[in-house]
Amino acid sequence: MKRLAVMVAGLVLLGLGLSQVSPFRARLEAVLHQGGHEFAQVMLSQDKGQALCSQYRDKLPADLIPGFLAEQKALIKYPQSGKLLGDWKNGEKVFTDPKRGNCYACHAGVASEVAHGTMGPPLTDYGQRGTLEAVVRYTYEKIYNAWAYVPCSLMYRGGVHGLFTPEETADLVAFLLDPNSPINRR
Amino acid sequence: MPLKALLMAGALALMGLALAQEGVDPREEAKRQKQLLLETAGILPTELIVEQGKDLFNRKGPSGKTMAECDFGLGKGVLEGAAARLPRYFLDTGKVEDLDSRIITCMTRVQGFKPAQVKRSEVVAVAFYIASHSTGKPIQVRLLFPEERALYALGEKLFYARSGARDVGCATCHVTYVGKRAGVLPYADVLGKDKSWTHWPAYRYSNDQIWTMQDRIRACYGNIAHPQPDLYSLPILALELFLAYSNNGAVVEEWPAFVR
Repeated sequence: MKRLAVMVAGLVLLGLGLSQVSPFRARLEAVLHQGGHEFAQVMLSQDKGQALCSQYRDKLPADLIPGFLAEQKALIKYPQSGKLLGDWKNGEKVFTDPKRGNCYACHAGVASEVAHGTMGPPLTDYGQRGTLEAVVRYTYEKIYNAWAYVPCSLMYRGGVHGLFTPEETADLVAFLLDPNSPINRR
Repeated sequence: MPLKALLMAGALALMGLALAQEGVDPREEAKRQKQLLLETAGILPTELIVEQGKDLFNRKGPSGKTMAECDFGLGKGVLEGAAARLPRYFLDTGKVEDLDSRIITCMTRVQGFKPAQVKRSEVVAVAFYIASHSTGKPIQVRLLFPEERALYALGEKLFYARSGARDVGCATCHVTYVGKRAGVLPYADVLGKDKSWTHWPAYRYSNDQIWTMQDRIRACYGNIAHPQPDLYSLPILALELFLAYSNNGAVVEEWPAFVR
């Protein structure tokens, strides 16, 4: 009897639910606020790029890609000096620091460092590419904002989010490209 | 408690062993560690916590009632298979509840404890005890009530959301990069073959921690330097419902589980 009542109530509720247009966004926001202030703030302040990658689950429709790449490229800032190849020694510090580059979380780097992730391609001997202007620029921009080359890539936009400065980005470039960097020496 | 001291010593010794192990199949390794711990300590931490949970379950609250007076979804005092059907909507509270939050409802509404008196360690112990009655049962979570469907949709949205200074979300690693690793273990295919919903609650031998899925989800956010949703909050519940439903039909190998 009780079970029947529950069933009936359930069906009524189901019907009510189905017959209404859900204010999804309002509900989402209410739920997020329930998770705590800081959590809600971060979740609700997604930028346009994050929102698109979330909406399309990391697979942007082809017609959106050129605009996406251009917008991401526009977010890249460069050092005032104009030098994109900095100091590899400081670069190594930024590369290793979990709060800044945190690069070993995903990439192999100096060959002797075994505690590295496998999410991204190994960067050992990255300097084999040489230091032509195009290589330096690509490396700088990729590190500063990976989404300017690969939309919705896992690699986070450390430069855009201010995890490292334009100068520190140039130092990271040097760590990868300088022939004296341990990345390129065994 | 000499037993606990012994367990601690065993766990510490195992941590050393665990650190020396790399590139082994994580599930096989967990089984090996479990066997080792059983041989050194004579009892598993999971069994110990289940016993504690059982004591708490049968303890009378201020109202004079034990937890056997509570309905965990299959009727008053019915524990067999109950945890495998959570989270679900409860008519008495008008809310979707998971194992953790249903235990709190039981302690506050039925047993008469004040919310401030509810200790996290007790909730976890009781969760271990109740979950132990679902070993061998298939996950059966439904989206029958509108509240369940709404929360599921929110959980799905949260799962695929990319946010914060690290531009990541659950799906980035647990869908797109399954099998790759950032730490020691490869990322689990939580919606697919790894059936991760069935791995919690669990004892983590690498850190000697006793966790439910609530703790696990919070730790995920912590690992990616993202602010964590509060314990027992709706974002966690939404993600849980989404994960559980995605793993429907998966048989619980052992609850509480024993993981790295």
